[in-house]
Amino acid sequence: MGNVFVGKGRPSRVTEQDRVILQLKQQRDKLKQYKRKLTVQLEKERFLARQLLKDGKKERALLLLKKKRYQAQLLDKTETQISNLERMVQDLEFAQIEVKVLEGLKVGNDCLKKMHEALSIEEVERIMEETQDAIEYQKQVDEMLAGCLSQEDEEAVLAELEAITQDEDVQLPEVPTEPLPAVPELEHGSKPAKVKQEGMILLAE
Amino acid sequence: MSFEWPWQYNFPPFFTLQPNAETRQKQLAAWCSLVLSYCRHRKLYTVDVLEVQESPMFNNKKIERKLSVEAIQVVFEELRKKGNLEWMDKNKARSLIMWRRPEEWGKLIYQWVSKNGMVNSVFTLYELSNGDDTETEEFHGLEECMLLRALQALQTEGKAEVITMDDGKGVKFF
Repeated sequence: MGNVFVGKGRPSRVTEQDRVILQLKQQRDKLKQYKRKLTVQLEKERFLARQLLKDGKKERALLLLKKKRYQAQLLDKTETQISNLERMVQDLEFAQIEVKVLEGLKVGNDCLKKMHEALSIEEVERIMEETQDAIEYQKQVDEMLAGCLSQEDEEAVLAELEAITQDEDVQLPEVPTEPLPAVPELEHGSKPAKVKQEGMILLAE
Repeated sequence: MSFEWPWQYNFPPFFTLQPNAETRQKQLAAWCSLVLSYCRHRKLYTVDVLEVQESPMFNNKKIERKLSVEAIQVVFEELRKKGNLEWMDKNKARSLIMWRRPEEWGKLIYQWVSKNGMVNSVFTLYELSNGDDTETEEFHGLEECMLLRALQALQTEGKAEVITMDDGKGVKFF
């Protein structure tokens, strides 16, 4: 009844180990039920013994207590067996996990191997060589293109470089302490004066 | 927590099937909801028609009224039409009352399983319904046939697989 849906096409995902685990667990369930029964009985007998003592039937009470003692021992044994079974189940479950881990590692290893196959040393050498060739080629092209600049262009480039370097070298002259000289002086050094002005604005800010 | 009876429960005509079709429809609806909420309250899963007549559900001692077996059959048949009940035998003497659908039970069980990281583990049915670990869960004490239905519902979703063995059944969750 339980397997109505299984077997129709898709295969069962229950392994042989699962069945073994189930069997162990069923055994454990039975022991647990047995334990429950014993506990109930113990409780009942304790009550009965007390009743007998009250009635003055000491002999029978003693007998009953002996029986109870025996049952308590049984209960202990049952407990140990339950824990044995449970440990076994846990061991089995862990072993299953270990198998899975190993499988995973194997798959990873195979995959790594395949990828290494694709990456043969010769192939790497060839590719690196080709890359080197390409770099060389690029260098050649660069050189050829660099040679294309005319003499005039080169001069213009140099001039620009000069201008930039000079710009950076400009230093602010000392702020004059004496009163400003006459106008002609101003015409002569108009550029530095402007720079000075800008510098002052900057300072003011 | 005591069960809260609907007002109809103390209304004597409620215990006699009404001839008027419209009234009867309303009456049956009230009975259906009464049965479902009572069974939910008492956590009843299987009900014996003859026995249940004596239960407070159909027998109001205070007003000295009880529903006849025939009327109970009618109510149960109505529940069956609504999908809340299934007959467990041909004579319609025992019924499975599903105040929670198997799919819903399955969902609850699966939630518990995944919350506790026990997917991919094997369980016995006893363990699920009577185990120490499920004591605080709603499905603790669920009757086996109901439990099985819930697990089968999970099985159709591919979340579980019921395992049948010589002495009892088990289940593996995925």
